[in-house]
Order: sequence, then structure tokens, then C-alpha cells
Amino acid sequence: MFVQFFYTLRERGIPITPTSFLRLHKALRLGLITSIEDFYTAARSILIKSERYFDLYDQIFAHHFKGVDLKDPETVELREVARALLEEWLKHPAQIAAALGVDEKQLKKMTPEELLQYFMDRLKDQTGEHHGGNKWIGTGGTSPVGHSGYHPGGMRVGGVSRSKSAIKVAMERRYRDYSLDGPITEAQMGEALKRLRRMVPHGPKDVVNVDKTIYETMRNAGEVEIVFDRRLADRLKIILMIDNGGWSMDPYIDIVQTLFNYARSQFKDLKIYYFHNSIYTHVWADPSRRYKPEPVDEFIRKDPETRLIIVGDASMAPSELMHRNGAIYFDQREVVPSIDRLKFLAAVFRHAVWLNPQAEEEWHYTWTIGVIEQIFPMFELSLDGLEKAVKQLMARH
Amino acid sequence: MFQEKNPVQFSGASKYVLDDELAQIVNISMALEMPLLLKGEPGTGKTMLAHAIAENLKMPLLILNVKSSMKLLEALYQYDTLTRLNDSRFGDSKRDISNIEAYIKMGKIGQAFTANTKTVLLIDEIDKADTDFQDDMLDVLDQMQFDIIEIDKTIQAKHRPVIIITSNAKKDLSDPFLGRCNFHHIAFPDPDMMRRILDVHFPDQSSEVLNACIETFYRMRDIRGVEKKPATRELINWIRALKADPDFKPKSLTKGIPYLGVLFKKSGDMSIVSQSLNRMRF
Repeated sequence: MFVQFFYTLRERGIPITPTSFLRLHKALRLGLITSIEDFYTAARSILIKSERYFDLYDQIFAHHFKGVDLKDPETVELREVARALLEEWLKHPAQIAAALGVDEKQLKKMTPEELLQYFMDRLKDQTGEHHGGNKWIGTGGTSPVGHSGYHPGGMRVGGVSRSKSAIKVAMERRYRDYSLDGPITEAQMGEALKRLRRMVPHGPKDVVNVDKTIYETMRNAGEVEIVFDRRLADRLKIILMIDNGGWSMDPYIDIVQTLFNYARSQFKDLKIYYFHNSIYTHVWADPSRRYKPEPVDEFIRKDPETRLIIVGDASMAPSELMHRNGAIYFDQREVVPSIDRLKFLAAVFRHAVWLNPQAEEEWHYTWTIGVIEQIFPMFELSLDGLEKAVKQLMARH
Repeated sequence: MFQEKNPVQFSGASKYVLDDELAQIVNISMALEMPLLLKGEPGTGKTMLAHAIAENLKMPLLILNVKSSMKLLEALYQYDTLTRLNDSRFGDSKRDISNIEAYIKMGKIGQAFTANTKTVLLIDEIDKADTDFQDDMLDVLDQMQFDIIEIDKTIQAKHRPVIIITSNAKKDLSDPFLGRCNFHHIAFPDPDMMRRILDVHFPDQSSEVLNACIETFYRMRDIRGVEKKPATRELINWIRALKADPDFKPKSLTKGIPYLGVLFKKSGDMSIVSQSLNRMRF
């Protein structure tokens, strides 16, 4: 039973070593664990090494020891699904009324929000009755999302009392916010970006180098000779280019804003530029992209050790990227297509990455993303992706 | 069986409110003789836990405050070359210059190993140091021994200390490091838990005042854009400040909030908070 649990955890992508699993058995053998509640806590503290996996662990635990359906990683948020379903259904009021068991007239009085809430309540009831079942509520095959099941714990069905069973606790999914696919916070972003640093000696010589002092003193036949060094300081230069134009970036403003706030307070030598969709002759130092243009050609004068981070959804019409006069503003007269500008930047800055706020599995829907991916290493703007990007930026070429 | 094997069990201390889950984890880590790694926001009581364990089990507490430039050797022992150089140059001390051992000073880990009783060793904010430090340190803690190269001597731990490691999640820790620890993440206490914590700290305060304070406190934590959110420590200090103010009445919290400076330590945060408070009041 436990071996299966161990493998389920591993399959779901939680890094667990056999050693820690053996250690859990040692704890069991020592008689430290007497109930399933103990097992829940003990197994978590011994096996799981990061709060990011706590949420997944909760789900797997609930699944394994109770048989709650495991949420498919591909599934969209339950509420989103419900909303999509509703929109579909609203075209056929009679059908939805029958499915929910309400009068059609009554249904028409409800606002969409009320309706959604009512629908969600019904969903919850439904799972309460058939545990582990994978039936959608009375859809009879009209459901556009034919997946195996879902897990209502995402909406916190557990109570708040202190004496809960472990499975209930697990089903509550308290650690959802910490999980890898949860919302990214400034602190987490900080954690990821902290590794972007390069220490070099800088400033006045004001630190005593003890080893050298002793060595020099000995060479001096015991006459004390003090050696000073410069302090180490972080001198990493960073250029951040952000796509802040167009509705296509609108949904990501919050997350980009977070990146901004953090980057501003973290890096001393940080320059931020703005562009729209792709990079043409100029980028702008002001967010309105009007007053402070900077020619892209000038970037060749910058330090090639500078780290270039481009944030954008890389989604545009193919002509905007490939055509010589592709820019969507007609006052931007071009000599070369935008793609050559990007190649130029990639050649100037050896350490460059592209952060894309779109989810990675959606990338292949957009042709331009594929093309830009060939030029810049592209990463998802999530905790995971950010970490990979930082690794890429700090790698030695 | 557990009771016979290990009669010492941790069950809380006078000024520390412990939830059952955490107590269980502490006890398991002690029984398995593994270091316990605690992560969480600042102000969730990670460091306080080690103090509480030491108080509860009546063991001395040794604190190793990790710094970013720290080398492992500093935590183990230090060979005081400068003093020896000074002594050999001027020759006015009573130490024997030819005996290197006289110039070896034990660091915190060394002290924990050589202590005559079992100790609690708190390694605070491990994430500040670099990865090499962390991995090497765990080797030492795993084997419970280290060598002093200068005098060719191996120091063996007399008693295995109870090891608590805290991390502020500034950096990720390496996998081998994590593999050798038990792990727990302390979430920020919910209002109920906070109430219990405050009851311990302010036993004579009326519940009306405390409830009003907690409510205001959580409302202010929710204000968006604040860089450093106030934590338990700030709340306790804030209530202390309110208690000291003879004019303070819990009802006045709805009108305006005094002593904001106790809760918010950054000037940027202060202006954000006072702006949004103005908006709340209309």
C-alpha cells in the first residue's frame, strides 16, 4: 500500500528519494506513527522537501487513502470549466433548467453570477454523494470537457474546526498558494532572481586579507605587513525589455508588474525599455513609448556581459516579425525586418532570455513564438520557468 | 515503545503556542535523529521554536547565525592565527606558541559537539550562506564529527544535538541538503491561532481589545502593494504600544490607526497604507 503511495508521488513529479522513503519506514518501525493523522504529518515532513509540493502531496494523499479523484494536471480550474459549460448551456435554457432541476422561468430571473454559484453548489452536492465518481452533473454527454474527473477540494470544502481527520485536512488543500502552478508572488520571484548576481572586487581597499597578511609577514621575517583588498560587490548589469502594448499583454499585467517591482528594488544597474509586440528600430525608456526612444543599433556599445531579459507574449501576425515594413505603426520606417533586430540583440548579448507569460502548452498555437524561440531561449513566466531562465543567464558560454 | 526509547517529548513552552502538527514533526525528527528544516515567512516563529524546545527539554541552546560570507570552518572551529602571530612577534602572553591547540577556538557546531550535555543547536537562516557551506555542513552533522587539520585531531560529538535549521526561503536549498533533513513549512497563523498566541502574550487583556486588534491587523495585511507585511512580532509590539497609550479605546480603531510605524517599517509601505486607509474611511 505504501509502496504504491510512494510511486504515485514520484509519478506526479514530486522528487522523493528512496532513502527518505526508507526513513519513513524506520519511523513506522520505531512506533512513532500510530494513526493516519500521524502518518500524514510524518510522511509529509520526511518525504516532501518543499512547500511547493505540499499541495500536490495533499491531493495524492487524499486520493490514495480515500479515493478522491485526482485532479488531472491538464484540467482547467473548476470554476472556469463551470463558466464555459454555462455559457454553452445558456443557449439552451430548457436543457439547463432540466439538468439543474429548476423551473425555466425561475432560471431566467437569476443573474449569471447567481447561476454560477447555484451551479457550483449543485456540483459540490453531487460529489458529496458519489465519492470518487466521475460523472458530470446531468450533462448526458453534452459536456465539452470530457475528462476523467475533478477534485472539489480546490474550493476548500473542509471545515475549519481544529479536530479534523488527515484526509479532510489534505482535502482542504491549504498549501495551494505555495504550489508550483499557484500564483507567483514577489517573494517567490525574489527567490528565483536572487541567483542573478556576479560578485567582483569593487571600491576602496578596506578589507584585511588575513592569509596574505600572514604570508607577507613571514616573507618579511616576522615584521608585520598588512595586506588590504577590495570588497566584493554585485556588479551585474541587467536590461529588461517589456512588451507593454496591445491587448494581448493585458491579462499578464499583474505578473509583469510584480517582476518589475522586484527587479527595481533588487538590481542596482537595471535599465528598463518598452516595446510593442516586437522590436523594430527603437525601444523606449518611458512606458508610454513616446518621449525617450533609443535606437536598437546603439545597443552594440553596451557591455556584452549585460544580461538581457525580454518579457512578452511573442504573439503577433507573422508579417510583423518577418516583413521589412512589418511594424504596426506606420511612422516606423524599417530597413530590416524585426526578426533581424532580434537576431542582432541575441548576437550582442550572449546572456539573453525571453520570458513568456503565456502557459508553455499554449505556445505551439502561435507561429511567431516558435520562430522567436529559435533566437532566444524562451521560458514561461512562472516560478519554474524563472528559475530555468536564471540558470540560463548565469551559465558560462 | 517510543515512550521507553525516548522519554523526552516536546509539548510546548510557556511563551510559545504550538500546533499539534508541528509538535508531532518535532518529536519525529528527534526520534529519527534528523535535523528539522523550518521554512516560512519572517515572523511565523521559526526561531522561537528552537527557544521553546530548549526551554521545554531543559537543554542549553546554541545559536549559529549564518551570514552570507560565512565559511564552514567558522562554524566548526577557528585557528586564531592573528593572535598567534601577535604572540610570536611580541611574546608577552602566557600561551605556549608552539602548541597550536591553544589557538583553536570552537565555533557553535564545535561547541555543540564538545558540550557535556545534549544541546539544542539552532542554525538560523541557512539560506543566506552559499550552497557549498550548506552541503559541507550537513556532512558534518551527518557524521557527527569533524577534523581539525592544524592539529590533526578528530572531534567526535559527545551527544547528538537536536538540530533546528531555519530558512527564509530567500534561496532554494540543494537537493542533497534537503534529502538529509525533515521539512516543515510554517504558514502564517490564521486569526484563531493568532488569538491563542496573543492570549499567551497578553493574558490580562480583554478579548474585545484583542479581537479588534486582530481584525484590524489582518485587514492591513491584505492591503496590496505592501513590501514588508507586518508579522506576529509587529502585532505584539503594536498591542504593547496601544496598551501604553491611556487614551486608546478599541472603538477608535475604526476611525484611525495609531502607531502605524510599529507595524510598517518602510516609508513606501507607510504611504501606501495610509492612502488606502483614507480610502477605506471615505
